[in-house]
Amino acid sequence: MKWIADFVRRRQADRDVDQEVTAHLEEKMADLIDSGMPEDEAREKARREFGNVALYRQDSREAWGWVWLETLLQDLRYAVRMLRRNPGFTLVAVFSLAIGIGVNSAMFSLADALLLRPLSVSRPNEVVTVSGVTPSGPSTSISYRDYIDFRDRSKSFDGLVAYTLANFGFSARPGDLAQMKVGFLVSGNLFRAMGVEPELGRAFRPEEDQVPGRDAVVVLGHDFWEKELGADPSFVGRKVRLSGIEFTVIGVAPERFTGMDQYMRPAMFVPLAMAASMAAKPESDMLEHRGERSLAVKGRLKAGTNVPQAQAELAAIAKGLERAYPDTNRDRGVAVSTELQARIQDDPTDASLVAMLMALAGLVLLVACANIANLLLSRARARTREIAIRLAIGAGRLRLLRQLLAESLAIALAGGLVSLLFAYAGAAFLNRIQIPSDLPIVFAVRVDQRVLSFSLAISLASTVLFGLVPALQASRTGLAPVMKAADADSSRGQRLWGRSTLVVAQVALSLVLTIVAAMLFRGFRADLMGGPGYRTDHLALMTFDPTLARYSDAQTQQFYKSLRERALATTGVKSAALSMVIPMAPNQHTENFVPEGYQLPKNQDRVPVLADTVGEGYFDTMAIAILRGRGFRGSDTATAPRVAVVNQELAKRYWPNRDAIGKRFRLDDPKGPWVEVVGVAKTSKYEWVGENATPFLYLPLAQHPSSRMTLVAQSFGDAAALMAPLREMVRGLDANQPVYDVRTMADIYEARAIATPKLITQTVGAMGVIGLLLAMVGLYGLMAYSVARRTREIGIRMAIGADRGSVERMVLRQGFILAIVGLAIGLLASFAAETGVNAVFSATGRDPWAYVIVAPALLAVTMLAAWAPARRAANVDPMRALRDE
Amino acid sequence: MMVLQTLRGGPMHGYALAQVIKRNSGDLLEIEEGSLYPALQRMLKAGWLKAEWGVSARNRRVRVYRITPGGRKQLERKVSSFDRMLEGIARVMRPAES
Repeated sequence: MKWIADFVRRRQADRDVDQEVTAHLEEKMADLIDSGMPEDEAREKARREFGNVALYRQDSREAWGWVWLETLLQDLRYAVRMLRRNPGFTLVAVFSLAIGIGVNSAMFSLADALLLRPLSVSRPNEVVTVSGVTPSGPSTSISYRDYIDFRDRSKSFDGLVAYTLANFGFSARPGDLAQMKVGFLVSGNLFRAMGVEPELGRAFRPEEDQVPGRDAVVVLGHDFWEKELGADPSFVGRKVRLSGIEFTVIGVAPERFTGMDQYMRPAMFVPLAMAASMAAKPESDMLEHRGERSLAVKGRLKAGTNVPQAQAELAAIAKGLERAYPDTNRDRGVAVSTELQARIQDDPTDASLVAMLMALAGLVLLVACANIANLLLSRARARTREIAIRLAIGAGRLRLLRQLLAESLAIALAGGLVSLLFAYAGAAFLNRIQIPSDLPIVFAVRVDQRVLSFSLAISLASTVLFGLVPALQASRTGLAPVMKAADADSSRGQRLWGRSTLVVAQVALSLVLTIVAAMLFRGFRADLMGGPGYRTDHLALMTFDPTLARYSDAQTQQFYKSLRERALATTGVKSAALSMVIPMAPNQHTENFVPEGYQLPKNQDRVPVLADTVGEGYFDTMAIAILRGRGFRGSDTATAPRVAVVNQELAKRYWPNRDAIGKRFRLDDPKGPWVEVVGVAKTSKYEWVGENATPFLYLPLAQHPSSRMTLVAQSFGDAAALMAPLREMVRGLDANQPVYDVRTMADIYEARAIATPKLITQTVGAMGVIGLLLAMVGLYGLMAYSVARRTREIGIRMAIGADRGSVERMVLRQGFILAIVGLAIGLLASFAAETGVNAVFSATGRDPWAYVIVAPALLAVTMLAAWAPARRAANVDPMRALRDE
Repeated sequence: MMVLQTLRGGPMHGYALAQVIKRNSGDLLEIEEGSLYPALQRMLKAGWLKAEWGVSARNRRVRVYRITPGGRKQLERKVSSFDRMLEGIARVMRPAES
């Protein structure tokens, strides 16, 4: 960075040269006077023999190479002056660019929150994700035993860590009511390998995850410590209770370490070795059973190791494990992927949504750039004389090019600055997305340094996008013809053709954007109108996990039995039922099943399917229609034959054209128990309102006991008013029972089914409107320019008898042709886009209305943009036009 | 090259340098004296010269230039390549002898 220091010192160096030159002249004068020359003559001679003082000073300065920076600043200053002299042009250019960049920044901040933001560990780009692979599914968790083998046998990693989400019933003091908190069970090396230094206290020692159940130590998450424990430093060293066991707080994680993925902020970190003592069901001890796969594994690659090498090494180890433990590890492979790949794999819907929105934002920026390029091209024509004069008095073409690009840069920087307003507004808009859950999930769209850098980068990139071609063309101005005549244009046809293409492309692009927005809007509306297929009002929900109070299985099932009974007895409750998952809630559940008499694809012996375990009365409470057969009854006990209810879609897919009632399937895998279908339920929306019909499986709670269940209570009146009596009822049952995710179904439905789609449609619609505005500016710019350069021609036409009407029509026709060609191309592109939209949403088939409404509206609007220049052409005064030479 | 060659004789300030070059070339080369300064700045930047403030024979504050080892090396390179060029020109001009 020596040149920076040089630049700072340049004033001193300039003075040095000045002094030196002055000394030179004085010495020479003195010599000449000594030789008898009069003083005036001596000064004259000294000056003459020295040459151009200013020029040499300048050259001396340039020798140091600061000049590029100085001339850049000078260029920018000049550019700003030029832009200020054309406020209309500048305003339009800056504003349309600001929209283009702002949309991109906002979308980038969304993409960052969903996908791109790096892990909050040190040197996150070295950290890769290790996941299990089965023949049926690409990515699964890894068991503790397998993890230990991978960790100890591999050489590709500087620390391979494992962690898993776990619920803890937390009480800061013995006797306090337990609160449900989500934390991580982690391998002891996690903090060390991820380069995370605790803010207070210490991290785990290597020996602290060796002996199961020995070291009851916990590191608190910063958020949790700050928000719920009042950032009290005295907590370090204190005893707290987690699920009834006494733990010692040994440290607090630093603020910047927010967890191991982009959303989840764990409240605490507990060594995996404690998992055994925390589990209510010792028979499923994940530390011992190789088949108990519940860990997420990440590793820091050693310097010089890449993903394929690590992948090859782990795959070899996995092969060894397959041979050594065929019972649990047959067909179990392993995959190493980067954090970004892993995130895309985890949530392909989010990834495709982000990709789609980014692509749309990119289109908007392209339209904006094309527009400004167009405006610049028109302006360059108005400036041919200025440019020719500059060339004539000796400006280099490169220098001229730089000057013109500096103007583009000034526009881009101003646009980038204004775009931040749009970016902030966009981020605030996107932050309205809520996740209805008590989980410590943070979905933070924010304009941070990464977004600012991104904005700056695309500002600079757009400079080249919209500035280079006009600048090149302008600096190629031929000298002689321009100086001779004001209206010379040697390659008129070719240039206009290029510009027309730009406008046509814009019209086409904005048509695609608006049509896609219209299709989304209509698609979502159709989905919403159809309803989700279950009740969304008058439902109060609360979730329990008695294992947090260290209940045994039998105790848990007894608890749920009495819970429902007491709920039904509570005043204000019309009906009540238990369900493992709630439709549209973020956590959905999957079961594997093997349908009888259905040919599965090759290499696949089971089908994963969305599923729920529900108690008695669930279908009535949720108002999910049973179309055939029956719902679950009290007689479907643990000892009765196993039964299931499937939805219409599942029945249709696996037993097409047959009655699903009485059909059988195996649960879990081809050796699993037989289950008989006793009812078919109406297909509803399970994950979100735009989804296509999805197969779904209901299992009875009595036959599939689960520890984590949600009580669904239907109220006579306001569902929210039911919460207090229900809590009171639970307290009467067991005061130590943590209750969480207390909310109404209406809240969940509002957030997931109404707010989010509305947000998406509004986003795309706003883009469409923006695109349309930009296209209008583009067409207007081109037509205005075209009229300006044809002023003389129009003058002649009018002088020899054309009337105003025919001139107006002539200009309008030109605009009309451009608009029609653009619309035609746009329509073709929209057909292609519709296929893409249909793949993401459940919009039903082709949507002619979007075309019928949007295309003529767009045509009308674009003609409006062509109309103003046409009026101007019609008002040309032939006398002035012809004199204007 | 001429500047470096001249400075090899000893440190000198700008005006003196101009005078010496002019005299040595027998007034054959009509160079504007001013053109010396940009050249000096370039050589300063390249590290071939060092400059420090001193006092001229007439007691004026002037910058005195001194050649550096790097400058000497550069001079040798330049001189040899210049000689080769001269030789080449000479051969072309007198083709019969070659």
